[in-house]
Amino acid sequence: MSNELTNEIANGSGITFYTYLIYLAISIALTVWVARTLHKNGRVFLVDVFHGNEALADSVNHLLVVGFYLINFGYVSLALQLGYNVVTAQASIEALSVKVGMVLLVLGGMHFFNLLIFSRMRRRTNRVNAPPPVVPDQFTPVREG
Amino acid sequence: MNALTVLYDPTCGLCRRAHEWLTQQPKLVELNFVPCSSEEARKRYPELNHALTQQDLTVVGDAGAVYFGPKAWLMVLWALARYREWSYRLATAELLPTTKKVVSAISQNRYQISRMTGLSS
Repeated sequence: MSNELTNEIANGSGITFYTYLIYLAISIALTVWVARTLHKNGRVFLVDVFHGNEALADSVNHLLVVGFYLINFGYVSLALQLGYNVVTAQASIEALSVKVGMVLLVLGGMHFFNLLIFSRMRRRTNRVNAPPPVVPDQFTPVREG
Repeated sequence: MNALTVLYDPTCGLCRRAHEWLTQQPKLVELNFVPCSSEEARKRYPELNHALTQQDLTVVGDAGAVYFGPKAWLMVLWALARYREWSYRLATAELLPTTKKVVSAISQNRYQISRMTGLSS
């Protein structure tokens, strides 16, 4: 065993490194999964919002997913640093649970925010064709001109 | 429904001010303003009770549906892009009685309100 590797194991930086790797793998996989779900199932909403204009719906859908990726990967990247060396396997799993838990909460928040945007957009278009709020009191003939 | 004719009281300052405000609002349904009981109003709606339109705001749809008083106010709100949601909220079973009371009170005291707020001239 080389000297450097012994040192790494002794001060725990090896486990820290693998903790980071596992954190990145889990976070990236989760983000991709949520973004794909959003992309696949959000399309139906958008097609409805844009009155069947599929090209526009696909375009907006794609742009939304790009924003989703940017925000989530931004968060994953910023939240990576642990600030201490992980020495034991137990500490590694504990650190992972906190980090991955935070990523999951951010993903969940973003996901519901996206759903909110979809439903808002849908409600807005429905409103344009919505019927009057009250029934008329009577009817009268109209003479145009 | 694509257009609403609003029969408003041109002798009341508050109504004229409301008319001005309405012309500037973005609309989902076109609003045409005709002074109530005017020659134009009588020509357009020969069978309408024009004495009644002088007492309270009246709105007539392009197919001849007539809305008096509080209903007319709600229809005007419904025509506005920014306030359509409010027209439904105020027309719900819980809020409609209050809406009617408030609107009727304003309508019946429109000359006093105009005078008090300096809109009467």
